[in-house]
Amino acid sequence: MKAIPAGSDPAQHLKDQDLSRRKFFALVGWGGFLASMGGAAFGTFRFMFPEVLYEPPTIFKIGKPADYGMGVTDTLKKERQIWVVRNEKGLYVLVAICRHLGCTPNWFQDQARFRCPCHGSIYDIYGNVRGGPAPRTLWRAAVSLDPIDGQVVVNFIQRQDPDPQSTVEGLTVPEEGREVEPFFVKA
Amino acid sequence: MTRWLEKLQAQIVGTQVWRSIFRHGYPDTDVNRALAVFSNVILHLHPIRVKRGALKIRYTWCLGGLTFFMFILLTITGVFLMFYYVPDTRRAYNDIKDLQYVVYFGNLMRDMHRWAAHAMVFLVWLHMTRVFLTGSYKPPREFNWAVGVILLVLTLILSWTGYLLPWDQLALWAITVGAKMAEATPVVGVAGPFGIQLGMRPDNDIRFMLLGGTVVGQSALLRFYVLHCVGLPLIAAFFMAVHFWRIRKDGFSGPL
Repeated sequence: MKAIPAGSDPAQHLKDQDLSRRKFFALVGWGGFLASMGGAAFGTFRFMFPEVLYEPPTIFKIGKPADYGMGVTDTLKKERQIWVVRNEKGLYVLVAICRHLGCTPNWFQDQARFRCPCHGSIYDIYGNVRGGPAPRTLWRAAVSLDPIDGQVVVNFIQRQDPDPQSTVEGLTVPEEGREVEPFFVKA
Repeated sequence: MTRWLEKLQAQIVGTQVWRSIFRHGYPDTDVNRALAVFSNVILHLHPIRVKRGALKIRYTWCLGGLTFFMFILLTITGVFLMFYYVPDTRRAYNDIKDLQYVVYFGNLMRDMHRWAAHAMVFLVWLHMTRVFLTGSYKPPREFNWAVGVILLVLTLILSWTGYLLPWDQLALWAITVGAKMAEATPVVGVAGPFGIQLGMRPDNDIRFMLLGGTVVGQSALLRFYVLHCVGLPLIAAFFMAVHFWRIRKDGFSGPL
């Protein structure tokens, strides 16, 4: 900073683009005000996103493979929203969420069909669409065997969702490609 | 840049949406300044013109306005707390702890609600003391003093019902004690004068109605929650509207 000669007007040394004291305080004042308003708005927005969820776990154990007999086991639908299906080769887990608009279908043993009560989608035991408005086949959840206690571990979030082909019978996915890890347990 | 902004501004101000909301020009003339206050639902409670002397704070200290500000603050923070709080005896305390330690901004919301509640009670008393000392309770303003007393009682009941919601030891016993006092109400309380003679029992008197049971339990928690969040604020808002309207009708003395 240069010394100002005595007797001269200090304002002379200011250039037009220099920040005046008034402008500086206005900037600091408005800046501080807007920053605090923005911070409060951001925090209030963040408030609406919970940090802790009180929802059922998405990875869970459902007992030993031997607990499940041939065909569809309907007992876990209410608690876990899944069906466990066994065939000659092993187990897979169908997610009990209709692919149309998300209702829970029901299993009919006599017809060997899942039927959705909301809009009448029909699925077979593989999850293939056999009727109704469903645009895709039922999800299959990832399954594995716990190496320590040998129980079946289901990952409800990791899902198999291949593009189906339109056939005479409905939207179908060839079964060979579906019975692969991690969506199938040989047991 | 400036010209572009001016064009944008002219375009926005020219729309029917804008002109149907703001039915006057910029408040740069006396008429428009008056219209800005007069035609705004929130501002119209305020006088259209404020005299220079009325801006002196030392006459009323703005205590009533500060009380109202606390009420607004409590309403807003209260709504946010309601997103996480469930009035269930099994989880109410945990929800409060979640708000304090888990929810982002939760502790700030809770603290703002709590401190504003304390401040509102405190400011109501100061406001009434000021009104008493300036003699503003005298006719023709005696009606508004009575409305103010009702608002005082509503503030205290709001404070008291909010006291139970954290469902901790302090809450439970404070409401137990307060309900015990209700039990001693003459005629309608089982422990009050003439209560027993008029057929009052612990399961049919005024305390029973207040708690929705004979002990401070789930019914009391839900009842206090509904009163605290919906019932009492609505009643208080109604009386506040009357209170403010009466201030305008009665007019001001002194510098106002």
